[in-house]
Amino acid sequence: MLGLASIVLVTAASVVIGVWGVKAARSTPDFLVASRRIVPGWNALAIAGEYVSAASVLGLAGLLVKNGVGAMWYAVGFTAGYVLVAALVAGPMRRSGAYTVPDFAEYRLGSPRLRRMCGLVVLVIMLLYLIPQFKAAGVVIELVSGIPYWVGVIGAGLVVASTIAVGGMRSATYVQAFHYLLKLAFIAGPALFLIFLADPGLRSAAVNPAEVDADWMRPMLDLDDSGRPVLATVSVLIATTLGAMGLPHVVMRFHTVSGARAARRVAVSVIVLLSAFYLFPIAYGLLGRVVTPEHSETDIVPVLVPGAIAPGAIGTVLTALVAAGAFAAFLSTSSGLLLALAGGLSHDLFGGSLPRLRLGVAVGTGLAVALALPAADVDINVLVGWAFAVAASTFCPLLALGIWWRGLTATGAAVGLLIGAGTSTGAALASVLVDIEPGAVSILLSQPALWTVPLAFAAMILASRPSAVPEWADEAVLRLHIPGRHSAEIARSRKPLDVRSEAD
Amino acid sequence: MNQRVRVTSPQTRLALRRRTDAMRPISRRAGRPPIASTAIDMAAAERALRRQRRLAVLTVLLLAAALIALLIAADLASGRLGWALLFFAPYPLLVLLAAAHVRRAERVEADS
Repeated sequence: MLGLASIVLVTAASVVIGVWGVKAARSTPDFLVASRRIVPGWNALAIAGEYVSAASVLGLAGLLVKNGVGAMWYAVGFTAGYVLVAALVAGPMRRSGAYTVPDFAEYRLGSPRLRRMCGLVVLVIMLLYLIPQFKAAGVVIELVSGIPYWVGVIGAGLVVASTIAVGGMRSATYVQAFHYLLKLAFIAGPALFLIFLADPGLRSAAVNPAEVDADWMRPMLDLDDSGRPVLATVSVLIATTLGAMGLPHVVMRFHTVSGARAARRVAVSVIVLLSAFYLFPIAYGLLGRVVTPEHSETDIVPVLVPGAIAPGAIGTVLTALVAAGAFAAFLSTSSGLLLALAGGLSHDLFGGSLPRLRLGVAVGTGLAVALALPAADVDINVLVGWAFAVAASTFCPLLALGIWWRGLTATGAAVGLLIGAGTSTGAALASVLVDIEPGAVSILLSQPALWTVPLAFAAMILASRPSAVPEWADEAVLRLHIPGRHSAEIARSRKPLDVRSEAD
Repeated sequence: MNQRVRVTSPQTRLALRRRTDAMRPISRRAGRPPIASTAIDMAAAERALRRQRRLAVLTVLLLAAALIALLIAADLASGRLGWALLFFAPYPLLVLLAAAHVRRAERVEADS
């Protein structure tokens, strides 16, 4: 019961902070990108808070227990992606002044059609990413309170949708910064407590390979017992690293800082924050292997570990803290995802107004909840992996080529997006629907990034070749890279003044 | 008679107009002078792009090299060394790579 109470408390605090931020959400830019008035430090916290999802907390530890220490590669990829964000995307993307990836596509390639196509891709990625978040919320609520999975999922949907529909991005930024700190405290605190106060035998068992089988200790990802650990590891690493760069809700966040310089610096801060954070789900996994080895649902390992190590009152309190931290992870990621999804629905697909945006939040939540109900048995990290694979095969090449190569045309981008989205989602679907015996082929279907990303890049480049590059493309690209007053952002760098005069 | 009129201060009108102009992609603004910055120094921009691109490619290659080295090391490592390597080694490396890139990118911007 304490667990449920702590979840309710976290939710209530989020709503209060969300409502406090509501005052600012008046226009579409306010709602979507907080009118760019967010301070960089808050922004880094918010990005990390949004990014460190239920998948990181629960899925990572769960996969570690299930598959072995190779699961740590997921954390490496999730973090390494931000090196690419800092190097390739953050600065130029901020200078483009675009709010969303589809906005950027239209700015750079001048095709409203392509914009709508990007809007569709945003929907696919965000939905794939939302499903595991709702699954995580459902299993955690079920574990701590006994409330059935489906009731928990629907309840979680209602909470997130109402917070977001009321507040928008400005409130989301503060809520998410709050959530990062909360997650760090509630996940890291109990972990440290358990590591240092657990009996020494347990501690050494957690880190000592002697009594574990060699397969589990091998630092490679042997997914589904395919016998191709190196192949699987490389493909997961490509998907997570390149996917992080193409995640629409992450890219969108960089528009809320003051300029290109700040955007790049925020990306570096995010790497530091993620580095600190990911050590803890891994610690839960290592402990979980020792104390909860035979549990069938590995995605709830972090919530089970405290009770298994410290029985009695201390265990109950620690369990409640971890449950609250996991729920904060759910709340922050899903609100960011829903915002991007709503943005895709209204802003990019239907040319948005604020009521439509709010409708978009409701529709998006409904879809995600409906899909999360049958997904109860799918591993969280598997679902997250697909979202990253699709992002890596679509927006990663679009942004990388669009920002750095003048030769990209609307036709090339469209062909590349179609092929990238088609192959990556198709492969993921096939891995679920078709029964293939474990091996190289099954890995290439369930972890398709290894071949779909190069394919998407090649398609974009080759299909751009025949069509003529419009004369304004030169300027559109160059403006992304000029520092100071001549860049594309110039017209909007006086934002605070503009916003105030509009609000008056 | 009952038509509603939007009343704004001249300053607000200006700000709103500036915003709608800025929202429009360059492609659609073609033919009219873009707001605020009519012309950019194309030659300087060209140099900036090339230098930044070289830097970006370098960082991407360094990242790839670091990850491949880590993969090989992890594949060879056994027992406790394996998880310790993945637990401690990657993150300082990634922070270092990103920080070095940002420093160099800012230096390029300061020059141009």
